[in-house]
Amino acid sequence: MESFFVRYRNLLVLLTLLLVQIIGLAVQVRRIDPARRSLDSADSSGVRLIRLWANAVVAPVERSLEYSKTGVFGFWKNYIDLRHVRQQNRDLQDTVDRLRLEQAALLEDARQGQRLQGMLDFQQKYLYKTVDAQIIGTSGSDQSRLFTIDKGKHEGLARDMAVITADGIVGKVREVFPHSSQVLAINDQSSGAGVILETTRIRGILRGNEEGQPQIVGILADARIKPGENVLTAGGDQIFPRGLPVGTVEKVENDPDRDGFITVIIKPAAHLDRLDEVLVITDTEPRFSSQQQKDIATSEQDKSADAAALSEQRKASAIMAERLPGLTDPNAPPKPANPQGANGAPATPAATVVPKILPPQHPDRFTPGHADQPDQQAPASTPGPRPPSANPVQKKPPTPNSTPAPKPATPPKPNPQPQPPRDEQPQPQSGSPPTGPGRGGDHRDE
Amino acid sequence: MSVLTANSRRDLEVHRYPAPLYVAAPVVALVVQALLPRVMGRFAYFDLPLVITIYFALGRRSPIQGMFMGGFMGIFEDALTHHAIGINGIAKTVAGYLAASVGIRIDVQNTIIRILLNFVLSLLCSAVVVFIHRVLLGIELHWNWLEMLFVAIGNSIVALFLFPLLDRFQVRD
Repeated sequence: MESFFVRYRNLLVLLTLLLVQIIGLAVQVRRIDPARRSLDSADSSGVRLIRLWANAVVAPVERSLEYSKTGVFGFWKNYIDLRHVRQQNRDLQDTVDRLRLEQAALLEDARQGQRLQGMLDFQQKYLYKTVDAQIIGTSGSDQSRLFTIDKGKHEGLARDMAVITADGIVGKVREVFPHSSQVLAINDQSSGAGVILETTRIRGILRGNEEGQPQIVGILADARIKPGENVLTAGGDQIFPRGLPVGTVEKVENDPDRDGFITVIIKPAAHLDRLDEVLVITDTEPRFSSQQQKDIATSEQDKSADAAALSEQRKASAIMAERLPGLTDPNAPPKPANPQGANGAPATPAATVVPKILPPQHPDRFTPGHADQPDQQAPASTPGPRPPSANPVQKKPPTPNSTPAPKPATPPKPNPQPQPPRDEQPQPQSGSPPTGPGRGGDHRDE
Repeated sequence: MSVLTANSRRDLEVHRYPAPLYVAAPVVALVVQALLPRVMGRFAYFDLPLVITIYFALGRRSPIQGMFMGGFMGIFEDALTHHAIGINGIAKTVAGYLAASVGIRIDVQNTIIRILLNFVLSLLCSAVVVFIHRVLLGIELHWNWLEMLFVAIGNSIVALFLFPLLDRFQVRD
C-alpha cells in the first residue's frame, strides 16, 4: 500500500489537484439561465478573495511600471526628445525674422508698386514728356530742402526742369550729374515759382520759409484770399507749366517787413516730406497719346475738308455775283477801262455801289414815299375817326421793339448785305402799298 | 535517439535556482503578461506563465513541483480575469506535470527539444482550456485554432530567448 502511493505519487497528486480545481470550478459555476448557457457573474467570497490577492500582487507592480513608463515617456518626451528644441527654436526664430523682413520688403514693394502705378497713370495722362525718378537721398539739413534723384544728364535731365508728382509740384532740378540730380524743393527758402490763386487769380511768388512751409510772398493785402483756396502754377517762370497744382491756402499772415502786404502760407499738394518717386518734366511740348494724335489728325482732316468746301463755296458765290446783273447799280458811273492801277494793283472803286432797297414788308409813315399817298393807306368809306385796320395783326399791343422811332423819315441806310437775286426776291409794284400795318393802327398806339 | 535521451549524469541532475527566482520569475511573468497586451493589443501571442511553468518543470524534473507551479500560475491568471478560477489552473497543472515527466526522460538542455516541448504543451494547454470551457463548464467559448497556433509559436520563440537567460541563474555545485 505504501509502495502504491510512493510509486504513483506524482499521478495521485495530479489527480488530486485536478479534482480540487474541478470541484472549485463546480462550486463557482452557477447557472442562472440554461438557455443562455452563461455563468453567474457574482463571485463567492472565497473566489473574490483569491482575485483580491492576485490583484494585490499585480496591481502595485503594474502601477509602478505605469508610473515608470509615464516617467520614462515623460523624461523622453520632455528631455530626450527635446534635445534639439533650442536649436529648432533658434532656427524658427531666424526663420520668423527672415520672413518678417521678407514680408516688410514685399509690403514695401507693394506700396511702391501702387505709387508707381498711380504715377504711371498720371504720366500717361500728362501732356508733357516726363522722366520718372527715384529719390535716393537728401541734403540731410533742414536749412537745405534739397534731395537727390537717381536720374541725371544721361537720362535727359537738365537744370531748371520741373519736378512734380501726381499730387502737385515738388521743385526744380538744381544740379545735374551724369546719373543723378539735385532737386530744390519748393519749400526751400531759395526756391521760387510763379503761382496763381485759382479763384481770386492773384499772382505771387512761391518760396519756402524757415519752417519749411511754402508761402506766397509779395501780395497786397486782399480780403478775398481765404484758407482752402487752390494754388496753381502761373506758368510765367518758364519752369513749371501752367496750371499744375501747388497746394491750398493754409493761412494768411501779414508781412512783418512790409505794411500792406501779406504772406500766404501754402499747404503743398505733394507730400514733400514723404517723397519716393517723382516725375521730371523734360519737355514742355505737348505729348499726346496715340488716341489723341489720331483724334487730332481726324480733326485736321475735317478742318481741311471744311476749308476746301468753304473755298469752293466762296468761289462759286463770286462767280454767281459776277453773273447776276442785279447786284450792280445801274446808275453807277462806268468803270474805268483799266481796272488796275498804275502799279498793277487792283484799283479801288471810285464810287460805292448802292444796293437796291427792297420794299418794306410793313411800311409805316416813316417809310420813304409813304407821305405822298396817305389816302391809299385808309379806305374812304371808313366812318369813324379810328377806322379798324384791315390787318388784325395791328390790334395787338405794341412792343418795345415795334415802337417806331419818333424821328422824321430819313433816307434808309445802305444795306451792306449783298442783294439776293432778283428772281428769288420778287419786287412789288412801285407805289402800291404793301399789305401790312396801316396808319390807323399806329394812331391808335399813339 | 541517444541525443534526445538523458543518459548521462549531468543530463539527469536537478537544476537548482536561487530561492527568490522561484518567486520573482512567476510574478514578473504574470505582471508582464498582464501589461504587454496593453502595448501589443491583440498581437500578444504568448503565454509567459506557461513558459515559466515549463521551464521550472523541466529544470527541476519534479512533476509535483511542476504541477504546483502550473496550478499556482493558472489560478493566478484566472484570478486576474473574470472567468472561473481553475480553468487555467487545471491546464497549467497538466502542462507542468507533463513537462516534468518528459524532462525526466529526455535531454531538456537541447534547444530544439525545448522549443518543441513549448510548442506542444502550449497547444495542449489551449486545448485543455477549450475543453474545460465547452465540456466541463458548458460555456460557449469562441476560439480560433489559428490563434492557438500563433500562441504556441510565440511561446516557442519566447522560450528560445528566455530559457538561456534563466539558465544563467542556475546554482551549480
